[in-house]
Amino acid sequence: MRIFDPHIHMTSRTTDDYEAMRDAGVRALVEPAFWLGQPRTSVGSFVDYFDSLLGWERFRAAQFGIAHHCALALNPKEANDPRCTEVLDVLPRYLAKDGVVAVGEVGYDSMTQEEDDAFARQLELALRHDLPVLVHTPHRDKQAGTKRTLDVVRESGLAPHRVLVDHLNETTVRMVADAGCWMGFSVYPDTKMDEARMVALLAEYGTERMLVNSAADWGRSDPLKTHKTGLAMLDAGFGESEVDTVLWHNPVEFYGQSGRLALEPVAAGAVDAATGSSVLRGER
Amino acid sequence: MTFQLGYGTNGFANHRLDDALAVIADLGYTAVALTLDHHHLDPFAGDVVKQTDRLAARLHELGLGVVVETGARYLLDPRRKHHPTLVSSDQAVRVDFLVRAKQIALDLGADCVSFWSGVGSADDWDHLRSGVAAVLESGPGVPMGLEPEPGMVVQWLDQALRLRTELGNPEELRITLDVGHCVAVEPQDAAACIRQAGELLVNVQLDDMLPGVHEHLEFGEGQLDLPATLAALTGIGYTGVAAVELPRHSHAAPDVAGRALRALRAAEWLAEAERAVRADPGAIDTLFPAAGRAVGAGQDAARVRLLTAFADVSGDPVDGLTRLYRYGTSAERRGVLRGLAELGDRAPAAGVALVEDALRSNETDLVAAALGPFATRHLGRHAWRHGVLKCLFMGIPLTVVDGLDRHSDAELLRMVAAFADERRAAGRPVPADALALLGKAS
Repeated sequence: MRIFDPHIHMTSRTTDDYEAMRDAGVRALVEPAFWLGQPRTSVGSFVDYFDSLLGWERFRAAQFGIAHHCALALNPKEANDPRCTEVLDVLPRYLAKDGVVAVGEVGYDSMTQEEDDAFARQLELALRHDLPVLVHTPHRDKQAGTKRTLDVVRESGLAPHRVLVDHLNETTVRMVADAGCWMGFSVYPDTKMDEARMVALLAEYGTERMLVNSAADWGRSDPLKTHKTGLAMLDAGFGESEVDTVLWHNPVEFYGQSGRLALEPVAAGAVDAATGSSVLRGER
Repeated sequence: MTFQLGYGTNGFANHRLDDALAVIADLGYTAVALTLDHHHLDPFAGDVVKQTDRLAARLHELGLGVVVETGARYLLDPRRKHHPTLVSSDQAVRVDFLVRAKQIALDLGADCVSFWSGVGSADDWDHLRSGVAAVLESGPGVPMGLEPEPGMVVQWLDQALRLRTELGNPEELRITLDVGHCVAVEPQDAAACIRQAGELLVNVQLDDMLPGVHEHLEFGEGQLDLPATLAALTGIGYTGVAAVELPRHSHAAPDVAGRALRALRAAEWLAEAERAVRADPGAIDTLFPAAGRAVGAGQDAARVRLLTAFADVSGDPVDGLTRLYRYGTSAERRGVLRGLAELGDRAPAAGVALVEDALRSNETDLVAAALGPFATRHLGRHAWRHGVLKCLFMGIPLTVVDGLDRHSDAELLRMVAAFADERRAAGRPVPADALALLGKAS
């Protein structure tokens, strides 16, 4: 089983996770920019974070044979803090980088005017940089938030197939399917989706435009949920090629629209694999 | 780009001509340099007229422009390569062939027929000149590109131009230039040759070469400055065919042709990017990041070229370099660090700050790039030694460290010896590079 996790926050994960992901078949992933649990208070904090997603994290992933890409954005929660919104001025510079395959996560948290503004501005940036968009749908009032999301996308002029609407569930999937956007599902240990419900949705809606992610971060989450969903699909009678469609082909097709996917991990240039790497700090 | 990128069919000698054309067109070339040969549109075949018509239709269908090349090895004489030539005693055989090639070129709608002089001595000059005159006088009016060929009577552009002058500057006599030959034998580089040939240029062959060695190489294997060469073609407003000339690579033709086109596209991008930065230094902000996607494996060298162009025209190159590093990805930072070797001396303090930043990182590429010639010249000895030691910790081969042998000192050796002791105490192997460094000193 080869796996492309289309949404996972590796900066919060350990090298054990990388190793387990590699063993489970993860060969590529996208790490969208979002908040850190602890709120940011300045633009500088974003800039260092973006650098990390483009540099250190990519390097770390390469040590484990995993191709790391990212999506960059001002996340909806911090769009409400005026100390953070100026990051939108430096974002264009970063959207030009190799390894950036989408604008994201954008969307709504509390559905404020500030979130509206940041969302619309970033959809414009996606158009200008010819990048697809990863949209987060809110935890609270999810149905209203998803509906408003689709309205804003429609008004933006972005083609629906350039947009992935994420964190969907039984109550929100239909409207996104009808809008023609890609549908993302986060499979979690307690909240969001679980494997069995995910398989039921795949049985009902088919595999087209459907993406499954672990959205693993610093909270209780599991970076192997993609793999476990693949196993659950097989148990439920899906064929291997259908699993491959959901776990590999669909993310490749969606993010491939950026023209910047590089599915061979960036070789860790000067490292001699036989003698170790900086992540291992000479322990061997 | 004003001209058409093509590929020479003599690099597809093991393909049927139709198949070769399909592969070349599918790869994305828009022209071919067609070498007439016994198996590729034999000019002596009974049905050559019919074959030529069919080929013209095929080229049209594939959207390929064409030039006719006449350098087949054993077309006229099965025993002697390239024989007879315009300097041979039986010159008439070559003249007849070239006149047939003119008719084929006309029927194909080709830009020109390309030809060379032949191996001989300076004494053959007059004989050659009368042979060329005979070719020009016979058959249809088709531009004839005289190609300077290493080791032949006309081997330099100057000689080709002199011959033309002596013939009274006939309109139909033009120049074919092989840019690899320029590297191999010309006193000036290919870009300068292109500018000198100017509007007389009717055909261009693209390949790499090493000075003094007439061996056609893939791009990057010799010393040709490909971006500058393509920029020169654009600069003179060249609109003809520029076709890759790799006649000894037929055994792997499709792969070689694919690689060549990627190299050409990358060089094309770089030439345009350098031009854009020289016109507006601010353009580097978007071109510097894009170099990775556009150029691929050669991106470090490409970024150094962009930095060089930037430093030449920018009012404040130091601030620019620092900004590109500050907002750069790891690959962009590596490019800036590599650029310090050439540009850093203009502002050593700013350069040292970047090197120190890179040496604080834990990315092997950055640490390796930081320890180049600039660091050898300007970084404090203490920081430099720690950089070397960090390489040993990170498994970076010490070959990345510029001037290691010259600059290693007793203090560095003490540090490396202590590191080795620490490894042994922990029961871990000592890196071979560390042992080698200590071994050289003992």
